[in-house]
Amino acid sequence: MKPISICVVAITLLGNVYCALNPQSSSTDEDIGNGRYAIEGRVFPPEDQDVSSWQVGTRVHVNGGEYIAFIRDDGTFVIHNVPSGSYVVEIVHPDYMYEPVRVEINSKGKYRARKVNYIQTSQVIQVPYPLRMKPLSRFRYFQVREQWRLTDFFFNPMVIMMVLPLLLIMVLPKMMNDPETKEDLKQISNLAKMGEMPEMSEMFTSLFSGGSTSKAASVKAKQVKKRQ
Amino acid sequence: MGVLSTSIKPNFLGLLKFLNSFNWFIVFFSLINLSVCIYEDQIGKFDWRQTYVGRIKFSQFDTVSTAKKIIVATEENVLAALNLKTGQVVWRHVLESASTGNIQLLHVTDKVVTVSGANPYLVRGWDSTTGVLLWEWSLMLQKDDHAEFSEWWVQHGMLVHMLPVFGSHLEVSMYNLMTGQNRGSTSKLPAIWTNEGCVLSPPYYSCISGSMGSLLLLSLDVTSNAVQIISKPLSQFISTEESSLRPLDANSIQPGFVIGDKKIVLIKNNEFEMLGISVADESASVALVDSTNGPMVLQTWTDDIKGFSLIAHSASTGKEVTEVRCSDPSLRLPEPELAAVICSKTPRELHACRLLVTAADDSLHLMQQAGRVLWTREEALANVVAVEFVDLPVSDLDAAIESEFDQKEAAKMYSSVWAAFSRRLQTQFQQLQTLLQSLQGAETNARDTSTGLVRDYFNLHKIIVLVTDVGKIFGMDNLSGAILWQHYEPSLDPSGAAVFTRRSARHPPHDAYLTIVGKHEETGNGLIISLNPIRGTLVGERSLQLDVQLLQCALLHRADQEKLHALLLLDRDENVQIFPVSAAPLVENMFIYVAEKNTARVQGYALKYDGRSVVAQKTWSLSLGGSEAGHRIVASSAKPASERTHSAGRVLGDRSVLYKYTNPNLVLFVTEGPDAIHKDVVVATCVDAVSGAVIASAAVRRARALPLAVHSDNFLAYVYYNDKHRRTEIGTMELYEGKQRWLEAGAAFSSLRASRAPAVYRAAYVLPAAPRAAAVTHTERSLTDKHVLFALSTGAIVELPWAYLEPRRPVTPTPEHREEGLIPYAPELPLPAEAVINYNRTLHRVSAIYTAPSGLESTSLVLATGLDLFYTRVAPSKTFDLLKDDFDYYLITLVLGALLLATYSTKYFASRKMLKMAWK
Repeated sequence: MKPISICVVAITLLGNVYCALNPQSSSTDEDIGNGRYAIEGRVFPPEDQDVSSWQVGTRVHVNGGEYIAFIRDDGTFVIHNVPSGSYVVEIVHPDYMYEPVRVEINSKGKYRARKVNYIQTSQVIQVPYPLRMKPLSRFRYFQVREQWRLTDFFFNPMVIMMVLPLLLIMVLPKMMNDPETKEDLKQISNLAKMGEMPEMSEMFTSLFSGGSTSKAASVKAKQVKKRQ
Repeated sequence: MGVLSTSIKPNFLGLLKFLNSFNWFIVFFSLINLSVCIYEDQIGKFDWRQTYVGRIKFSQFDTVSTAKKIIVATEENVLAALNLKTGQVVWRHVLESASTGNIQLLHVTDKVVTVSGANPYLVRGWDSTTGVLLWEWSLMLQKDDHAEFSEWWVQHGMLVHMLPVFGSHLEVSMYNLMTGQNRGSTSKLPAIWTNEGCVLSPPYYSCISGSMGSLLLLSLDVTSNAVQIISKPLSQFISTEESSLRPLDANSIQPGFVIGDKKIVLIKNNEFEMLGISVADESASVALVDSTNGPMVLQTWTDDIKGFSLIAHSASTGKEVTEVRCSDPSLRLPEPELAAVICSKTPRELHACRLLVTAADDSLHLMQQAGRVLWTREEALANVVAVEFVDLPVSDLDAAIESEFDQKEAAKMYSSVWAAFSRRLQTQFQQLQTLLQSLQGAETNARDTSTGLVRDYFNLHKIIVLVTDVGKIFGMDNLSGAILWQHYEPSLDPSGAAVFTRRSARHPPHDAYLTIVGKHEETGNGLIISLNPIRGTLVGERSLQLDVQLLQCALLHRADQEKLHALLLLDRDENVQIFPVSAAPLVENMFIYVAEKNTARVQGYALKYDGRSVVAQKTWSLSLGGSEAGHRIVASSAKPASERTHSAGRVLGDRSVLYKYTNPNLVLFVTEGPDAIHKDVVVATCVDAVSGAVIASAAVRRARALPLAVHSDNFLAYVYYNDKHRRTEIGTMELYEGKQRWLEAGAAFSSLRASRAPAVYRAAYVLPAAPRAAAVTHTERSLTDKHVLFALSTGAIVELPWAYLEPRRPVTPTPEHREEGLIPYAPELPLPAEAVINYNRTLHRVSAIYTAPSGLESTSLVLATGLDLFYTRVAPSKTFDLLKDDFDYYLITLVLGALLLATYSTKYFASRKMLKMAWK
């Protein structure tokens, strides 16, 4: 890639070379022997755009405005009178993003279009020529303003932290005053007072750790020994 | 189980690592968020855009389509349609700025046809209502030698191209307008009588030729098949020998011309016909238009006494049409010219005309008969050369309060405490009065008078003074973009002009004072214009023409008794002039440098007052290109004079401080020159303008410099095009003193005493766009972050935080770097759409961006000039000192009210409860 581009530069420096057989450049646009070429392509309109006048707001820039082309009604464009060399073709639209393409025209009038890569300049990913430019996405120029929603407000951790204790403070005493709950509470306390009813936890511990009590005792004995 | 635990353990470590890196990501994204963008409902709230087309070259009324328009083609290579009723741009196409976009012909019928370029030419057809391109074809002339004298016109659907070879022949070619097919071959008409004074009034080509004493007036219809030269002795028309031809203006309906600025001659049926109407004034613009009563001759000029004058005569009878006549002393149009005229042909509206008039100050006026101006466009603003933001004066009341609390003033005026106290009461009373007045005057709205131009609380309201290329100076309200005053100075050539605010409006009773230093258009000598930037009236030196060319100008940093900063001018003979002369003894420790653009030589001068006058002493000289010839300065950038840095260093990750090297005298020069091995080299050199010492430099090989450089605080950046990789790159530098301070905190920096070299960090980044202008944001105390603004060729202005351009961005980030908040190095700079401050308001051909501080530390004012004007304000660190504009006042009042209510109600309930408790 690199040697090719260098030789292109060298040839253009030596002078405009006449190209007689130029199968890719269209026949109407060129006078003979001036070494000037035309870059052709087609721009596709954004789908959700009203189709009335997107052509006026869209421009085709070559090398950042060194050459400018305009778009016809059907979306096609031609950049006339370009000498051989390497050019970055970009479609400029105020609302939609298009991917730029690098077009290389060698001294014989052969065209090659590839993706623009500013980092690995020698990497070649070819794209079809004549160019077909499709909108990538809409530009997002604006921040989205945060909408104030009730749910957002309530699920805010700070609010939850404030509201829940409030609830506990306010609601629990009320519940205490309620006669039904009072009875319920009484029942619970009565249940707790029932001495003959063995406590569940105790029951379980005794059940599962039957032998462990002796162990614990031996440990205690050991401790006593140590103290001695 | 064991397998599971072993597989979890490393994953857990990985998770920790991930969290750590995620932590870094949070820092990264928080930095991205720094690039502030606006909300959609803020469109047009802080910003405005004005679209211009430039000085009118061709114009024609579009009468065919239903919506009436004027199609214009301009010197700025713009094709546009203007609304006939309002003058607003309906559609606009901006062609290339170089000669490839030069518009040669505009022809309007139901389609608009343009010929643009300079061999090869492009012929384009446009739809006049929508502006969509209909067809285009390219045309290349075989011979290139005389191509600049080409003449184009459209005749019977054919494009005619005529190439005169003076003193020899005319080459005429005709092409099909739509396809470009050549009808016949180029015909050569022998015409040895042609010369450079010939004029074309399609299809006739007319000359005055022959030897002195027997001059002939010759005309030739170049498109007819039979060559018929009309020839008459010139003495039949005019008595004087020294005479010139000029064509009729405003697309006249019949071929004709003006001889010797006196007589009007038409060509009818291959015969000359002299009209009985003589040209009213030598400078009058003459047009022949169709009207109800046959053709009508319109003339317009500006008389010194009568002002703008317009008269009309019937071409056939020679009688004056009085309905059209106008002479308006209040309307001052320098050198008016009829660009396009249309008169109604229906008998119902007799002599209803629309005249499009351009003036020498690039303004464009649409008038109707009797000279009533319907709208005006100031197209001079498409070519702004220099800009200055000027503070507004404080209101009288504020001034009184300020003087009251001014320590020195107070000591003088009030002998006792009681005097001061009575004064305080007085001003309080005045304040109350103005408050009441403002409440009353809310309906009457007396703000639009010039007395209403007072400083607002945050100093966001300013006046922008714009100096344009044509020599017209404008004062503009920055909030609305309205033109407050204008001053036309025809002799001013403002290329490289400098604008100085010599006295701000802070010093009542003295008015603000602004000086523009430019060149005289003809002689190239210095021209100084001093005016009051608030009202636009000339003050002080007024318009002063010097008798010598200037090298450099500067403002004295010390003000005199009237708070006026003196203007220092260094002229070609290295003499110093100072305005006012009385300020000469104040010159002390003053240094000036002069950089020659084409030779890349920089010279430093020390200015001294020797008791009688100020003398300049050459102290140092530097050749930036080294010994090699061919280097030239592409860009130079000094720090803004008003910049004050209030942050001395940067805190690193290990809590030590890296102190900035803030030399106020540092100037960045970007030079470009040939190199034996690397073709072209770009060298960026930082020079101390006082001592001439080179502080830092960087060189880039195989590159071409762009004229963009920014310099502020301790950092600088320059842009170049890398020929090897075919991409635009930006080189950045930062200068640091190190971890120890060189001087005591607060000590003044001295360039003459500094012997140490600062540590320089350098880096380069790829800018994936084509920048056209660059600037750095500027705030009151430089405490907020710095952002760099780039205007791109796509029409966007991108705000890029300096954190991305910082040369200290590490390739392999360490935890300390992360803690400091440095972004890891990435070669390509991100240009997200959120960073575009002008959103979808495309700006064509931005030539410069100007920034100015406001009274708020967070906010910087931005003006972009070029074909369009765009003003906005940016807040690089977000508006930390201002409530958000969507701040919910209602919610906070509601909450406060509810809390208050709750407090009192609970107090009441609590007391009741206490009472009850007491009774129990």
